[in-house]
Amino acid sequence: MKPGDKLPPLEQTFTTVDLFAYGAATWDWHRMHYDAELVRSKGFAAPVIDGQMYGALFARISMQWAGPRAFVTRMSLRMKSMAFAGDTLRAEGSVSEVNGSVVVLQQRLMNGERVIAECTSSLSLR
Amino acid sequence: MALLTEELKSWIGREARYQAREELGRASIRYFALALGDDNPLYLDDAYAQKAGHRSVIAPPTLICETCQYAHQAPNADGYIGHEWRLPVPNARLIRAGNDYEFMRPLVPSDRISVTWTLENIVEKASSRGGTQLFVSSVARYRDANGELVAVNRETIVYQPLS
Repeated sequence: MKPGDKLPPLEQTFTTVDLFAYGAATWDWHRMHYDAELVRSKGFAAPVIDGQMYGALFARISMQWAGPRAFVTRMSLRMKSMAFAGDTLRAEGSVSEVNGSVVVLQQRLMNGERVIAECTSSLSLR
Repeated sequence: MALLTEELKSWIGREARYQAREELGRASIRYFALALGDDNPLYLDDAYAQKAGHRSVIAPPTLICETCQYAHQAPNADGYIGHEWRLPVPNARLIRAGNDYEFMRPLVPSDRISVTWTLENIVEKASSRGGTQLFVSSVARYRDANGELVAVNRETIVYQPLS
């Protein structure tokens, strides 16, 4: 691992079922993530993807990439714009630093050219 | 009109504590991984996780920062059952701005977690949509059954007034 190394990109269409499954798994029953009628009353066109799901996705990718002896120790997650059920998002990332057993990654989630979320992650390799 | 009232300012520093009623458990780990389409065997296969130096399967890193385990309350009008401050801000929608997570160690199914939320600050800032909005910063500190800190979650939520 060295600075500049790229993580494998991941593209995923977030269906209402995905949003519902994540909400159910995390006991987050907020209607913003599945109830089209409530969502419209709040001024949005479709159910809103939970921002914490981006963090979970970034961690899924970094843990898979770094292998079984790695663990995420820090994540700094910033939401840049909203994304909705039906959107196809692309996650990409690269290594920005390697300090001994700590690897720092820069990850982003894109909808076309628009940045949805950014994350700086540190992983500890044992 | 200023959104940040004296009453709201008095909320800064408030705390809320929740205690999980049971251990994290394997099912919640598997369900979280399944919902994300994550087939990493660290979360699903004890023998694999033990070979990697863990006691058993571990939980995906951000699982601890989610609502599950601590929620014991009835859903509010929006269906939400997790921690919320219920700040007196009329007719606003809540947008997540960011989270800073720190993970001291991986969680295992036998962990029983408690969390203390602290409302650290409320700041009013101009909105690109016109008018102002509130940035509410909170920190959640998660501890295991021995009281050891296992994760910290700093969170900023924006309260956007709906006209």
